[in-house]
Amino acid sequence: MAIMMPASDQAVLARRAEIVAALRAIVPGEGVIDSAAEMRAYESDGLTAYRQPPMVVVLPDTTEQVSLVLKYCAGRGIKVVPRGSGTSLSGGALPLEDGVLLGLGKFKRIREIDFDNRAVVTEPGVTNLAISQAVAHAGFYYAPDPSSQIACSIGGNVAENSGGVHCLKYGMTTNNVLGCEIVLMSGEILRIGGKSAENPGYDLMGVITGSEGLLGVITEITVRILQKPETARALMVGFAQVEAAGECVARIIGAGIIPGGMEMMDKPAIHAAEAFVHAGYPLDVEALLIIELDGPKIEVDELITRVETIANACGSTTCQISTSEAERNLFWAGRKAAFPAVGRISPDYLCMDGTIPRGALPKALARIRELSEKYQLGCANVFHAGDGNLHPLILYDANKPGEIERAEAFGADILRACVEFGGVLTGEHGVGIEKRDLMPEMFSEIDLNQQQRLKCAFDAQGLLNPGKVFPTLHRCAELGRMHVHAGKLAFPDIPRF
Amino acid sequence: MDTLKVRDAKDVEEVVRAAIANEQPLEIIGHGSKRGIGHAMATNAVLDVSALNAITAYEPNELIVTLQAGAPLADVLSLIDAKNQQFAFEPMNTALLLGTPALGTIGGMIAAGLAGPRRIRAGGARDHLLGAHAVSGFGDSFKTGGKVVKNVTGYDLCKLLAGSWGTLSVMTEVTLKVMPKPEAERTLLLRGLDDAAANKAMTAALGSPFDVSGAAHLPNSAFRTKTEGLGDIASQGEALTVLRLEGITASAAHRAGSLRELLAPFGTATLVEDSASAALWATIRDVLPFAADGALGAWPVWRIVCPPASGAALGTLLARETGGDVIYDWGGGLIWAALPPKSDAHAPSVRQRANAVGGHATLIRAAEDVRRTVDVFQPQAPGIAALSERVRAGFDPKTILNRGRLTRGDAA
Repeated sequence: MAIMMPASDQAVLARRAEIVAALRAIVPGEGVIDSAAEMRAYESDGLTAYRQPPMVVVLPDTTEQVSLVLKYCAGRGIKVVPRGSGTSLSGGALPLEDGVLLGLGKFKRIREIDFDNRAVVTEPGVTNLAISQAVAHAGFYYAPDPSSQIACSIGGNVAENSGGVHCLKYGMTTNNVLGCEIVLMSGEILRIGGKSAENPGYDLMGVITGSEGLLGVITEITVRILQKPETARALMVGFAQVEAAGECVARIIGAGIIPGGMEMMDKPAIHAAEAFVHAGYPLDVEALLIIELDGPKIEVDELITRVETIANACGSTTCQISTSEAERNLFWAGRKAAFPAVGRISPDYLCMDGTIPRGALPKALARIRELSEKYQLGCANVFHAGDGNLHPLILYDANKPGEIERAEAFGADILRACVEFGGVLTGEHGVGIEKRDLMPEMFSEIDLNQQQRLKCAFDAQGLLNPGKVFPTLHRCAELGRMHVHAGKLAFPDIPRF
Repeated sequence: MDTLKVRDAKDVEEVVRAAIANEQPLEIIGHGSKRGIGHAMATNAVLDVSALNAITAYEPNELIVTLQAGAPLADVLSLIDAKNQQFAFEPMNTALLLGTPALGTIGGMIAAGLAGPRRIRAGGARDHLLGAHAVSGFGDSFKTGGKVVKNVTGYDLCKLLAGSWGTLSVMTEVTLKVMPKPEAERTLLLRGLDDAAANKAMTAALGSPFDVSGAAHLPNSAFRTKTEGLGDIASQGEALTVLRLEGITASAAHRAGSLRELLAPFGTATLVEDSASAALWATIRDVLPFAADGALGAWPVWRIVCPPASGAALGTLLARETGGDVIYDWGGGLIWAALPPKSDAHAPSVRQRANAVGGHATLIRAAEDVRRTVDVFQPQAPGIAALSERVRAGFDPKTILNRGRLTRGDAA
């Protein structure tokens, strides 16, 4: 494992049998798993290059049990790693050797559907898609749609602030959650928000969202639901140069059009996808845009025409417009299958996730090409072009010595380039362990200390999901220390009134 | 009282560090337009950020603008308006409600987090703040977030800064998302509905696929003799329920037609367009019926946020119990209540009724002696209050910034 995790607490490991017994007293029956064979299912998440069996797995099914488990662990200095469906692409749910893996998979019930307040109250183990399905009969849906929506849990979505294809127009998870029930590491159960648009006081919901399981364990979530747009149509536009595709994206946004989704694929990605799903993608183009407009039919038809005009002006070489749902779905089929399609042409791949300003797209692609040469590894690129979120897929073979290390170095260089171009390390997959050690590329020690002070407010012992997000862990007492700059008012030259 | 007019982030650091060393809490102000909101502060110096007023970068194609915190909101709005863009959360202008001259600064807009009618569709200031540079109560400059919309790198401290009323850090520079202005707007007007029926009409509209971007109700009121900003739209003594549709012209017009059909059971809706519609929504956004120079200018004003479908029952009850006046926005999810003057501003009644439906209330306008005896901001459950205090102390352990503003008695 290339990444250092916090040292295992041998005293805790020595008491494993006692801990398992104590957890069994809290969560009866099959809710505690301690056999090596059964725990194997939990040893990694979507970032499969990293594996570590936990000390023990516990699967509570009530908030009370979650609270008791956390309280027990807090009292004995035992680390806890929360886990939803285990689809994290950044290693957010990677277990610790001396840690309890707390799975929320049994929290599978939608508790309330409230159409009048356009809200759904759900347990965290419910999948993203199941929420949309539960309200579909009344024409509603839950807007954020990460690609893993069949499997990923809403609790995990909150932890990671998940995005998806449609977040350009409809926002990420943070823009679509209203409240939650959360259990702190101490075992304290708190309720934040509800069905109101805003919560009183500091926006704790806002900061819990995207906190990657380091602040608390969520046991209930209230999300906002929306009416499904009347219709959606897509354009599939090919370009002979990536630059022209980038220009097209900029001009669409510049014209005041916010598409429901706007995705770009480069040539290797197009070819891999076409070979896999036969969506009819043009194979002689350097970049392909899939642009979806949604809303009332009259609006969609008008905007399709406007986007087509812009695409032509940008020198598109092919432009197909969907005329049926089947055709629209076919356009998307290749994009949605891009990851498995790439999996067919390469034994292994690493999926990166940086964001750049839209305008830097051609520059970023040129840099990725250079790096691909340098590291002698292929790379297929798919992007959420509308919001500058890149997903370069670095192709490698884990069986060839040294390739994974090269692939990881390649990925790190791409993310450094994202920061250099004015962007960020991760747009939607999270920091986890994958980008943890790159955090100083974007944040100073002062910035990171300020973030860790927030962690201290929620979990002063640092027992919840340690080793994720922050490259260096500090004790809370140390972070709270104040450097008093001695002396009287020291600023003689600041204007006073 | 000393006023320190800072010129850059270094100055802010220096002032905060000196304040820590001397244990002298600071009041943070921009234009001071919202100074009257909150409790009297135990501060003996003012940190004035109004000279930090540069527009650092405006990139219309990236849909972002980066500004120093003291940049005047009015200037920024006209800057982005010239490129046909806007802050989609429709920040309110508190000046007329509070009776202050200035519209305020960008920093104040974020720190107060008061979103307008489009909040139901576009979110609030918290949803549009992409990144910030700020000086904490440790006297250190830090940054959080970035300049791109899609970003999950580290904790989203921007969410905490928005709506923190200057109690966590002094923002020095912020990056905000801007959005294209809609080509057209259409507003449907229903007349004569009581609050309950209006709430139902708004719920139906917001539950429709017509992408409603404003849903408000102005009940029939004996108190409002003037129809500020409404021109001849409202005739006296008649309730008005309004629903806004925005977008490209053909679409807004089409959806207005469809929505009108949907709402037929509530009456025959009439239509106002574009500039007349915009004036109407500015009136609601800025709560002009309760303006400081109007008939109810001396009355305390509450801002109550609640589950939208509970709005009418809550508002009707409060108006009846107190003899006050209410208007509804956010489809019933936001109630502005002007209540007859009383030493406690009817706080027990307001809070009890709001709590009962899962809502919360802020006393936005009240005389200083009232604010001395009433909690301006909603008191929180003990666990949340304790966590919030730990969060605050993680930014400002010596309570140097705006000490006493949020919690009654802290100033003592």
